[in-house]
Amino acid sequence: MGSEQIPEPPSTAATPHRAAAHEPSIAGTAHRWLRDRICDLWALLTDRPISLYAASVLRIGYGLLYLVFLLREFPHRDEIWGPGSPWTPALAQQLFDQTGWNSILILSDSRAYFELCYVTALVTSALFMLGWRTRAMSVLFAVVVTSFHARSIFMTDGGDNLILLMSLYLVLTACGRRWSLDARRDRLKAARAGSAPEPARSFRAQPLLDARTTLITVVHNCGILVIGAQVCFLYGSAGLYKIQGPTWGGGTALHYALNLELFQPWPALSHLVDEYPLVIAIASYLTVLLQVAFPFVLFGRLKYPVLTVLLGMHIGIAVLLGLPVFSGAMIVADAVFLPDRFYAFLPRLWRRAARRTETGPSAPGRATGSGFVPLQGRPARPGAPASEQPAAPAQQDTTTPKVRPRSGRA
Amino acid sequence: MRKTGWAVSSGIESADVRELQQSAPGPVPQQRHDEAARTGKPPLGARTVKAGLRTAVVLCLATALVHVVLVFLHVAPPNPVSKRYASQVNGWVFPLFEQNWRLFAPDPDSFNRKILARTAHTDPKGAVQVTPWFDLAAVDHSAVDHSVFPSHTSQNLLRRAWTSYVETHGGSDTARSERALMLQTYLRNIAVDRVASHSDGRTFEFIQLRVVTLPVAAPGTAAGTRPPAPTEDRLLPWWKVTSHGK
Repeated sequence: MGSEQIPEPPSTAATPHRAAAHEPSIAGTAHRWLRDRICDLWALLTDRPISLYAASVLRIGYGLLYLVFLLREFPHRDEIWGPGSPWTPALAQQLFDQTGWNSILILSDSRAYFELCYVTALVTSALFMLGWRTRAMSVLFAVVVTSFHARSIFMTDGGDNLILLMSLYLVLTACGRRWSLDARRDRLKAARAGSAPEPARSFRAQPLLDARTTLITVVHNCGILVIGAQVCFLYGSAGLYKIQGPTWGGGTALHYALNLELFQPWPALSHLVDEYPLVIAIASYLTVLLQVAFPFVLFGRLKYPVLTVLLGMHIGIAVLLGLPVFSGAMIVADAVFLPDRFYAFLPRLWRRAARRTETGPSAPGRATGSGFVPLQGRPARPGAPASEQPAAPAQQDTTTPKVRPRSGRA
Repeated sequence: MRKTGWAVSSGIESADVRELQQSAPGPVPQQRHDEAARTGKPPLGARTVKAGLRTAVVLCLATALVHVVLVFLHVAPPNPVSKRYASQVNGWVFPLFEQNWRLFAPDPDSFNRKILARTAHTDPKGAVQVTPWFDLAAVDHSAVDHSVFPSHTSQNLLRRAWTSYVETHGGSDTARSERALMLQTYLRNIAVDRVASHSDGRTFEFIQLRVVTLPVAAPGTAAGTRPPAPTEDRLLPWWKVTSHGK
């Protein structure tokens, strides 16, 4: 968007100068300028898939998050999604008829069928996270998340809502190109093929294949655009609605949030924080300011400190208010705004850190408390290929939270 | 507008289907192949493919933009634009893209709720026995207490069932809509399940709820010394208990 504006001033400045004599050439310049902009946009859309690493981080993050969520609710699975739920299959069906939702879970009332669905959901989430046949898995994952969400619609919160939206959008993206089993397989295949010539394809098929590649790229780029816009809307509206509330303006909102018994897993900690009204006021204001500012800082370096503060805020929410799924979903969503070069930089950072810690105490212990859950699901599988690039990030990400801001500004 | 939306959406779907088939060969060898082919002259059908591709790309972009605009109108407060295009916005956004980001906004709740239940049982002699009040929400509070990862059944189940009940009923306890009736059934089922799992197999035919709303003390006031006076004490009617498949 910004770059579109740059060439404009010269063309408008030239207007009065040439206006009298060269009327048609101005139209020509404008036309050419417009055509160039359209070509730029076209190139941006079709040249290459943008943010492949971020898309993969989203895939890993949401796959892992949903897997953990499903496992967490294992003792309550029947109460939430099963035939024994107080929101009975009959009620769910009645609501679906009214709202247009649907769910694979109410196709049968049998307990065995439900258990099958639950296991399918676990397997789907795991395979989606690992990036095995990613495109097909992303469709399955979206079906699973939609079904489980719709079945328990009156038990969901903002985190579930965000995971649902992202699972739908991720279907559009090529989220299995990095840090995935698919990427590993392709790499192995390429290595095995070596320099052997490609089997010749008919010239007739070639344009179609090219077109398909372009189309995949375009759909991916549009998907990333939609995901980015969605996260901006989330923060923007959350912030703007808060501005309307007197307690946020008065700097006391967090006092009330900390005193809700349902969001108070550590009462002593909540009361301790609550004893510092200045901290409460500053945190309340910071929350609103960051949320409102979020969409506007994304196009500059400022986004790194903002994302870091948001990361801290979400970790705070996860611990103080006992909302880990919600916070995790938000942290993963934020990751979409980190560019590929940031993620490509991580392996180098890891190697450097590893070299340094070879002499010092072991690194993993330090990293476990990081709370930056999403990245840890990256497939660090035994038997991963020997090629450097993928093996390094698998362990590397544990240091992410600490190095994130620094590396961003570097 | 709606028409365009649907037409555009089909463009995206077809793109997905094609990509699905693509996942097997993998993108890497393909791209290498592309470059080899580009050196030659484009074959005859290429122009048609190119035109089709161009259309598809434009449709994709248009869908994405339309989606973003419609979601924006859905998320934004009601305004002349979203009112004017309400049917298009709702037709597109519901149900899958429904969203609400009023997280602790405009203000966080400033109260805690006790949701109490008692049951009645008619013994064979015809005498009615009523149990004392049992706090259903206290079950949730103790489940959340010292839990790193509280369950949705503690944080959302009863809380959202009650707020949804209030949304559909308002101040009265007679259900005036189908949705209200559904939520009444839901709330009753939750209460029955909770009471049943804490009452050592005692049977009961009727259940009654009572909701006590306790304010969170304003900051600075000496809170915690004595319980605050309830701002609302709502007694619901007795409901007949029917089993729901348990």
